[in-house]
Amino acid sequence: MRFPTLPIWSAKKRSVASVPKDKNKDRSQVRVGIPKVLNIWTTHQFWVGFLKSIGIESENIVFSSDTSEEQGREFGKGRGTVDCCYPVKAISGHYGELVFGQKKKINILLSPMIHSLPSVLHGHVVDTVTCTRVMAGPENIKAGFLKERDVFGEAGITYASPFVSLGDRHMVTEQLHTSLKDVFNLELEETERAVKAGFEALDSFTEKARKQSRDILTWCAKNQKPCILVLARPYHMDTGIGHEIEGDLQAHGYPILWLQYLPGDEDLMNWLFEADMQMGRIKSPFDISDVWMSSYSSNTNEIMWGAKVAARCPWITCVVRLSSYECGMDQPTYTPTQKIVEATGTLFFKFGDLDSTKPAGGIKIRIETIVHYLAKYSQKIMQQKLEWLSPNCPLGPLPAFAPPDAVQEGPAVAQQVHSSPS
Amino acid sequence: MAEGFIQIQPLEQDPSLIKPAPQRAAPTGTGKICGLDVGSTTCKYSIATASGEILGQAYERHNTKQAEKVLDFLNRMEKDHGFTPEKDRVFFTGSGAGLIAPLVGGKVVQEVVAVAAAVEKLHPNVRFVSEIGGEDMKTIFFNGDGPSKSKQVLMQSACSGGTGTFIEKTARKLEISTEQLSQMGYTGYTLHKISSKCGIFAEADSNTLLKAGVSVEEIIASLFEAVVYQNLATLTKGNTPLPEILLLGGPNLFFKGLQEAWRYHLSKVWKERKVAIPDDRDPASFIHVPDNALYYAAQGCIEVGLRDSPTVGTYLGTKKLSWWIEEGQHEEKKKLGSAGLWKDHEELQSFLSRYSTPSKGTGAPAPAKSNGNGHSNGHGKPRRVPRVQLPMLGKTSKLGPVVVGCDFGSTTAKAVLMSPDKDLLFSCYALSRGNPIDDAKSLFRQVREAVGDGQILGLAITGYGKDLLKDILGADCPVVETIAHASAGLHYFPDADCICDVGGVDVKIMILNNGAVTDFRLNSQCSSGNGAFLQGVAERFNIPMSEMADGAFRAQSMPQLSMGCGVFLQSDIVNQQRKGWHAEEILAGLCAILPLNVWIYAGGLNNLQQVGKKYILQGGTHKNLAVVKTQVDFILKKVPDAEVVVHPYSGEAGAIGAALVALDWWEAGGESKFRGFDAIERLTYKTATSVDTVCHWCPVTCQRSFIDVELDGGKGREWSKVPLEKGWERVIVNNSCPKGLVEDLNEMKVIKTGMEKTKNAFPNVADLVRKEAFRRVGA
Repeated sequence: MRFPTLPIWSAKKRSVASVPKDKNKDRSQVRVGIPKVLNIWTTHQFWVGFLKSIGIESENIVFSSDTSEEQGREFGKGRGTVDCCYPVKAISGHYGELVFGQKKKINILLSPMIHSLPSVLHGHVVDTVTCTRVMAGPENIKAGFLKERDVFGEAGITYASPFVSLGDRHMVTEQLHTSLKDVFNLELEETERAVKAGFEALDSFTEKARKQSRDILTWCAKNQKPCILVLARPYHMDTGIGHEIEGDLQAHGYPILWLQYLPGDEDLMNWLFEADMQMGRIKSPFDISDVWMSSYSSNTNEIMWGAKVAARCPWITCVVRLSSYECGMDQPTYTPTQKIVEATGTLFFKFGDLDSTKPAGGIKIRIETIVHYLAKYSQKIMQQKLEWLSPNCPLGPLPAFAPPDAVQEGPAVAQQVHSSPS
Repeated sequence: MAEGFIQIQPLEQDPSLIKPAPQRAAPTGTGKICGLDVGSTTCKYSIATASGEILGQAYERHNTKQAEKVLDFLNRMEKDHGFTPEKDRVFFTGSGAGLIAPLVGGKVVQEVVAVAAAVEKLHPNVRFVSEIGGEDMKTIFFNGDGPSKSKQVLMQSACSGGTGTFIEKTARKLEISTEQLSQMGYTGYTLHKISSKCGIFAEADSNTLLKAGVSVEEIIASLFEAVVYQNLATLTKGNTPLPEILLLGGPNLFFKGLQEAWRYHLSKVWKERKVAIPDDRDPASFIHVPDNALYYAAQGCIEVGLRDSPTVGTYLGTKKLSWWIEEGQHEEKKKLGSAGLWKDHEELQSFLSRYSTPSKGTGAPAPAKSNGNGHSNGHGKPRRVPRVQLPMLGKTSKLGPVVVGCDFGSTTAKAVLMSPDKDLLFSCYALSRGNPIDDAKSLFRQVREAVGDGQILGLAITGYGKDLLKDILGADCPVVETIAHASAGLHYFPDADCICDVGGVDVKIMILNNGAVTDFRLNSQCSSGNGAFLQGVAERFNIPMSEMADGAFRAQSMPQLSMGCGVFLQSDIVNQQRKGWHAEEILAGLCAILPLNVWIYAGGLNNLQQVGKKYILQGGTHKNLAVVKTQVDFILKKVPDAEVVVHPYSGEAGAIGAALVALDWWEAGGESKFRGFDAIERLTYKTATSVDTVCHWCPVTCQRSFIDVELDGGKGREWSKVPLEKGWERVIVNNSCPKGLVEDLNEMKVIKTGMEKTKNAFPNVADLVRKEAFRRVGA
């Protein structure tokens, strides 16, 4: 076994610009790695669209794998940071995997600091910014790779971490041009084109996912079957962060919706929120000022909105709340979301303090508990919520329910939908 | 869990920057310097001449009497080395230093500072030090050379993960002597996954491995792995430990296997991080474990003392220390403690009269009314039944039609019989012996004896055995534990908001809302707050569990212990003993903090108001009235109008809940599939434990056993490595996680296909995101 005797760091570093200026902006050979973490989970296609537009080949856009303990152990060990937020801490494993774990080396590690997010609630809330800890996560993690020596430089990788406000589309071109022009040798004009392409790709995916959610609800309505809504942050879709808890429920025969992709269709939303708007409690179905005044944080806003939709939507008979260990953003939302959801008798189950390990024993028991109650109470919940809504369901004609004596005793429904707490 | 490390930086001033002390006559005479390291389990001293030449040293256990041991040391040094008050100097370090040093005029040197000083002097080339202590772990990184040499220190002392106690605790449980342990290896053994986070859980993991037939050697090797992993994962914080390396502290010195684990891991890290190692040298040769490392902290004190002004740390003699041992510590104890578990006798009596007989419940037909439950009448065969006792049971008596509820737990299997009127008629239990079939047979023999010719209307089972046994016994309802407990709780107390079950090894909190369990806390990350710990301490004091409450109630005052890690509570107890607290007072103190550990530390529930008003306490630990008292006081303090009840059939709650579910099912028109007593008695099985039964789902490779049971309509397993013909069913045991219940890839394929089919029929929007959102070709 041979160890390098000459310290590698003494070797000459590659120049910052990985893309040669003289080759007529041919970026077809440039490989870009993106850590699949945090808000990349809702902005994924923007980055794909953006990179493809500037000439990065599809096969040269590399996302890291889902978070896992093995990934952390193998690639992130000892590069950790002082942070109790596991989704942030886990990034070091993703960086490590992109730097050391690729057969075909990447040239650029692109880890954006996303300051604000596109949101269905845009314009109805104060702002759509991200958690500061999450936004600055890349800065935090980068340190573990630069502290002793420049790990990126040694691997011939350019580290790029653009600050970008994806929630304010008009600012994005300038932001990305400023931060990426040297990395990709970008002109302003092509950046503008790329940003446009990015948003098109993202919007198209979002629309597709919302369509799937609507299809699920339509199916539920047609068959009088319940479904489950997951109230969580986008990165809980990462199987290493959310531990696929909702998948265990899905395997029991319940379709799963995520609040990020709830259908925002006017007909459906107006139907659900009709009474609230008539009473003047809210101005539009996307107005959450009745329950959440300081609506700055994009994901938090959407979680509150999701809770309101779940409370009203008849076929969402159960909400599963996922939250990571000591999440300061989630903390103030626990009680309001639960109260909003339970106000209409909708079942609410929380999996809090999620960490690197899947709490195995606990989860199995809890899944079986949830399934027990879903089976026992869903019919009753759907029936009750439908009674509170106008009969003109935009999802099509509804079949009649089974006779009441076939339905088991349900929980006492605490309050009517129209008087949900504020 | 939060990481409890602290970073101390800078460590100490550059010696050249230390201002000369005000001119005071330096003590004339010998100028000897003594370094005393007062640790959590041992004391060490080193004594040196004014020029730093070591004159003598000693290392002894103090058996929780730190001050006494220090006095002994000082007397010895005065006698043997002419250590002289007012002339010589003494420097202290270690956990007991702060208390003792001022009593003899000594100066306290922070432990890490002391160790670093010794290392710098003795090993100038060392770049990384790991010191593992009994209850803490520290790492020191040295950067740069010469005058610009800097240190970065990371330490953690809030949690037992990665410390010496972590290894020793488990070794003790496995009945391995310290001598054996020190000789046990790491290299070449198969490693198993053991929780590196908490000592108590490591112990539980080790138990599981042991039960699964894993050799003690492999378990110990895995413990060494866990300790090194924990140290590297939490205490390096982005730094690479560079050669040369020094391993210090008792565990690093004594445990050969731990040294091997360090060598393995550090060599691997160096290779991965491309750390330059001369070609001709084995990387492991850069890792040193000095024999006299035990004295480094004491020697470091001398180093620090030598650099310090010669007037600092002047030894004042042992007079004050002797006073402290004789009198002072007892006065201190009085000042620090709080009153006992009760305010006055009246309050205690009113508590005892309310809670010394279990609550009877407020709900639907309480079982005690007509059939005499809870009162032995002397007829029939005496049975080992804790509370619910069978009335008038002779061999010929009949109970009439009943439903059976069974709870197959990890340590015992219990069954109850319930009449259609929800009267509890009988209960029995069988100790779990690792083979669920035998356990079931033993349990059903007792049931049969009680039922006689009575009809079984329905059978429900809960507990870990429910999935294994449901088909074999012909159970009608497999009931998840939470539902079983909630049903039993709500049966007796229909308005309950919360069930708090504190068992031997876990804490379960079920929060009820609208008659459903809406939140469920299972403490699985950390052991604080469970009953095993209380039992462990009682055992150490030789107090039987049954007398623990009386003892705790006798205490007039008690020490204030700190909430949190169970392993460290143990050391806190040692400290309290040192201060002179007695066993009963310490047990009272432990009972007093148990609710904090249960609700806040383990359950994460700070706001009980939100949980509700009616609380049911159940589980074995609540058989201890002192615990009940502190629980009641704690809950009432948080929720003044709360009502707290102890479940009348605490131990049988799971089985009762199962029986209630079975009754519901029967009332809805269910017809029992129960196989019958004869069929259960006739169950024949064969057991296989071999290489072919090893689980390969993860690197733990549990040695499982297959118990094959002959059963009408058994599907068999033709595809298996251990094939099973039709007419047989397989029960898999000794797996340490649910994954292991699936035999192998073949079975997984069958299960996966089924699951995929369901999943495809019932979509999950996140699957779309996972599959398509990261696609690079037009989504």
